[in-house]
Amino acid sequence: MRSNYRRHFLYAGILVVVFTLVIQWVLDLSLPLPDIQGSAQSAAIDNLIGQHVWLIAGAGALVLVIMGYSIVAFRARPGDEDEEGDYFHGHSGLEIAWTVIPLIVVTIYGVIGVQVLAQVTAPQDNEMTVEVEGLQWSWRFAYPEHGEFQTVEMVVPVNRPLLLSMSAVDVLHSFWVVEWRVKQDLVPGITTELRVTPTEVGEFQLRCAELCGLRHAYMLADVRVVSQEDFDAWIDEQLE
Amino acid sequence: MLMQLGLTRGLIYQAAGTVLGMVVTMVWRLLAGMPLWDQEVVFVVGGLVGGFAFMWGVGAIDDWLEWCRGKATPLVHGPPRDKPAWTRYFSTDYNHKVIGIQYSVTSLLMLMIGGSFALIFRAELAQADLQFLGMGMYNKLIGLHGWAVIAAILLGVGGMANYLVPLMIGAEDMAFPRLNAFAFWINVPGGLLLLASAFLGGFDAGWTAYPPLSTQGSVGYQFLFLAIYFVGLSSILGSLNLLVTILTMRPKGMDLFRIPIFCWAVLATSLIQLTATQAIGTAFLMGLSERALGMGFFDPEGGGNPILFQHIFWFYSHPAVYVFVLPGLGIISELLPVFSRKPLFGYRWIALSSLAIALVGFLVWGHHMFTSGYSPYLRVPFMVATLLVAVPTGVKFFSWVATMWGGRLRFPTPMLFTLGAISVFLLGGLTGPILATVASDLYLHDTYFVVGHFHATLFGGFVFPFCAAIYFWFPKITGRMYNEALGKLHFYIMTPAFWLMSIGQMTVGTMGMRRRIVDYDPTLGGGLVEARHLETTIAAFLIGLSILIMIYNLVTSAEIGVRAPANPWRSRSPEWQIPSPVPEHSFAAPLQVVGEPYDYGLEEEYVVMDESQAGHAQAH
Repeated sequence: MRSNYRRHFLYAGILVVVFTLVIQWVLDLSLPLPDIQGSAQSAAIDNLIGQHVWLIAGAGALVLVIMGYSIVAFRARPGDEDEEGDYFHGHSGLEIAWTVIPLIVVTIYGVIGVQVLAQVTAPQDNEMTVEVEGLQWSWRFAYPEHGEFQTVEMVVPVNRPLLLSMSAVDVLHSFWVVEWRVKQDLVPGITTELRVTPTEVGEFQLRCAELCGLRHAYMLADVRVVSQEDFDAWIDEQLE
Repeated sequence: MLMQLGLTRGLIYQAAGTVLGMVVTMVWRLLAGMPLWDQEVVFVVGGLVGGFAFMWGVGAIDDWLEWCRGKATPLVHGPPRDKPAWTRYFSTDYNHKVIGIQYSVTSLLMLMIGGSFALIFRAELAQADLQFLGMGMYNKLIGLHGWAVIAAILLGVGGMANYLVPLMIGAEDMAFPRLNAFAFWINVPGGLLLLASAFLGGFDAGWTAYPPLSTQGSVGYQFLFLAIYFVGLSSILGSLNLLVTILTMRPKGMDLFRIPIFCWAVLATSLIQLTATQAIGTAFLMGLSERALGMGFFDPEGGGNPILFQHIFWFYSHPAVYVFVLPGLGIISELLPVFSRKPLFGYRWIALSSLAIALVGFLVWGHHMFTSGYSPYLRVPFMVATLLVAVPTGVKFFSWVATMWGGRLRFPTPMLFTLGAISVFLLGGLTGPILATVASDLYLHDTYFVVGHFHATLFGGFVFPFCAAIYFWFPKITGRMYNEALGKLHFYIMTPAFWLMSIGQMTVGTMGMRRRIVDYDPTLGGGLVEARHLETTIAAFLIGLSILIMIYNLVTSAEIGVRAPANPWRSRSPEWQIPSPVPEHSFAAPLQVVGEPYDYGLEEEYVVMDESQAGHAQAH
């Protein structure tokens, strides 16, 4: 049997490549991200998730194919009942290889991860501060740069970097607009910050993503991303 | 008859102790000039006294009390003299095999209770909108499901370790048999307190019990905190016992790199349990005293910080994940060589990878907190540390497939569950790095994707291997074979159903559905979210059905199964070289190690009995 390993490795290798593509395709279908990339952060995060799907597909195919191949090629056939497998119990070179190579791969993914993190959290010029307050089970918004008023819907201008300055009144909450991708908890006694730049005009929903009691599922707020002119008009309306 | 069972006495004592504790607290409060009734304090003292009263009633501290009085108590083996043999399973018994079965059966019971909670809210989630389950009930069931199955997993881990470790290293029993019995029985009042919390308003902050929600909720939280205190005490004592057993009770010639690989997994697991469990004890003790005594650990008004709780909580609860899965991975490593008829590939690498996972596991807790609001500078170190876990885990996967490569594989039920475990744990493991990477986690955190990820991890790392272990050692435990057709039916229902459920959970997560919500927006994922939920619910019920098939199989086969030979799997491990079921004193003579544990394909044995010293074991 040992002499045939070269042939087995060849077949398994081809299957690993094929299955990497198949699994990647299946995962793309199974893990659908929201169609709308509503913020400057969305595309970077979606790309990062896409790169991780390739990692899942590649590593998954490697293990599943070799396992599946062994199940088929190395199964005990009728008449083999008393036969034992080939006797070998380790290979230091291989073990070192599959320690070092994954180490390199995760390092690469780590570096990519740090870069994307820096990109999606970087402070921007021209940031507009919105104060977000979470309480059981509603949201309040204030616009300190535009005057003294509070709203229950969030209205922001498109393509303007936002600095959300957030606090919780009672328990933990978490700010999450699916189309914007990023999220951040609100903590009583602490001000937390989230940077996001909405890039799509439209009406979205803010949902609380941290279990906060009875009506947590319904702790929602409307979010409207509008043009700068519409935003200015809305501000004027609020100040009246 | 019922009154002769330690369990019955324990339950009566617990009920009486709880009432007594409550009454004494109230009288003391009255004498101290305080209002009679303060539910927080009264229930805490009642629960605590009740728990220890149970231990007294069940007889788990009898010998120690005798010692306090200066009397020696011999360690009596065998079934009780004046009662039927089955009663020993419901009373304090010092034999590790009895205790292992007590652990395992209790584990299955808790698994079914916890699973049933999940089926209730899965039924609710099959459709968007509110159906039959109220919002409050939903929020309580998710936490109860979480803790009930975690308790079940800890019990299952204890069951496998207690039954197998002494048999695998040829030890007469565990190092501290009385402590062993104590460590098992303390779980029972713990589990009862956990379930009883539901009657005191439950806990509605999920299993994580984050304050301030958990410090504001009903008094049910106090029973949760106490319950985990008891269960945690069991972990600490049990792991101490296992460490001492593995390190000091091996026969001559069995050096650490010659023990069956499952023992390495238990060694790594026990190191975590012995050193990390205190952290959740601390977190919950702080929560308990903030509620009962007004200490402001997590209350910003009192100078506290809610995020502090999360740090302490996850300092245990992340390593705890490795407590849940490492023994299961050990079972995989243990069973693959037997059914591949080939040596375990890279024994030392697999052994040391368990230790590596255990050690790195202590440095990654912050990956649960990327969005928590802690210092942003902490994010990258925790991300890097977490990604590193992939390396030793990868070593395991590659060594497993290399073990199968070139073997002569056969596929009875335990092997099927082993292969199922590898595939499911692979799904759980590979969906880890995407959550460990901060930027992608900012999207996926607190979504159903996380739910899919950790269910795959725990099914692959515990449920599938546990099933494999049950089928594999069933003949050794009962002396009878399980029903192979029913075993395969269980596998072929549970595995596809689990894949459907887990992928379904991940799908609705990437679509944008949050976790821990009773109702979801049906327009998510282009309106497909509801269909995925329906599939997930059906799959969950199929898993429940398959577990019932297993229970039926085990119960009937124990009665009418075909008599099992001593070694039906042709395993080299010591426990298969002795009769089935294992006699009261497992080994008639001390073991002698003459070979390697996994040298399938070689003639020479791993262990032989030193017949010249037969009878020595009992004399000891």
